[in-house]
Amino acid sequence: MSGYEILSLDELGPYASENHGDALLIPIRSRLGLRAFGANAWTAEPGKTIVPPHEEDSGNEELYVVVRGRASFTVGDEPLDAPAGTLVHVPPGVHRTAVAEEPRTIVLAVGGTPGQPFAAHGWDDVVVAFAEARAGRVEQGRAVMRALAERSPEDAWEAPYNLACFEARFGDPELAWDHLRRAFARATEELREFARNDSDLASLHDDPRWQELVG
Amino acid sequence: MNHAQLDELERVEMDDGFVWRPVRRRFDIRGFGVNAYTTRAAGEQVVESHTEEQLGHEELYVVLRGRARFTIGADERELGPGELVFVRDPQLRRGAVALTDDAAVLAVGGKPGEPYEVSAWEAMFAAVPAARAERWDEAIRIHEEALAERPDHPALLYNLACMEARGGRHLDALLHLKRAIELDPKWADRARRDSDFAAIRDEPGFPG
Repeated sequence: MSGYEILSLDELGPYASENHGDALLIPIRSRLGLRAFGANAWTAEPGKTIVPPHEEDSGNEELYVVVRGRASFTVGDEPLDAPAGTLVHVPPGVHRTAVAEEPRTIVLAVGGTPGQPFAAHGWDDVVVAFAEARAGRVEQGRAVMRALAERSPEDAWEAPYNLACFEARFGDPELAWDHLRRAFARATEELREFARNDSDLASLHDDPRWQELVG
Repeated sequence: MNHAQLDELERVEMDDGFVWRPVRRRFDIRGFGVNAYTTRAAGEQVVESHTEEQLGHEELYVVLRGRARFTIGADERELGPGELVFVRDPQLRRGAVALTDDAAVLAVGGKPGEPYEVSAWEAMFAAVPAARAERWDEAIRIHEEALAERPDHPALLYNLACMEARGGRHLDALLHLKRAIELDPKWADRARRDSDFAAIRDEPGFPG
């Protein structure tokens, strides 16, 4: 890996996400391997959501910067018309969303938790991996998922669970079972409930191992 | 809601021609470092030529508008809106010259594996307009606020001593200079050559 990268936001994405509505992700952190802070951008066409509605459970404070176009933000109950060059700061517990108002609008989102080293949870890696696989590039997607698993904490269920979902949908069902077993070795009862309703794992439902593992 | 337009941010003109737009200070961001930079005119710096060796930060630069020629190590590249530079190696020298009057660059930084700590240079930059206008009390207050969080930062103590010497608080200046030198002896040599200390150079406590 070299000491620097020079790219355009348009080269880094965008990726459609199954969990973020119409907003398309430009995965800066995942593609460049940022380690000290979180940074991603979103793009959308007029009338579409560009900042998915959410609060930051991670504890991250976030700064949004309108890089191109124009967006209508709603932070808490307050609306804001935000042309290019607008900066919006949002504390973690405050609900926020934005809709694109001009073609090819881009909003950059930067985040970090005060007093804590930055830790990437990898939701952006999952978006990239699943989008690659949906486009038929299963090996590229698998590589992203494996890199995420390698840097995840040993005792966390998230990485093996997401790998199981990936393999169940796009790859090798036997690998899916291996990952799912590892996920459940670290999981709580809530995950079992979640897994039962997760359509990503539907291809495993008719296997006798499903009852045994998930119930 | 806490928001601002790039051009509404405070404008601090620095000697190399770049204009610091303090984003982190404006929003009191504590989770990461972030600032914007504009320029006095095309042909001048928009990003100061520097390394991150001392802070160990990785940095992301995003061109928000206009055009700039970035120099990263030996590589030169002309960039426009929506283009970015990520410098993961703190030792690489990086900087940019504005190619258009309206060039604006956002810079984000932090040290991998460590909680973000406000960089001391921000207070020194923030005190520049007050120091330039010889409003010494204000320049001293900005340094004291930063020192409340980083009481043993030698460069902050040294700069505070400069402001105090210029502002006529000679005893405070000698005390803070002495402390800066105790923490890092390299400041003694610099103090001997620094015109900010002209008024206290002959005082008995001044480093010989």
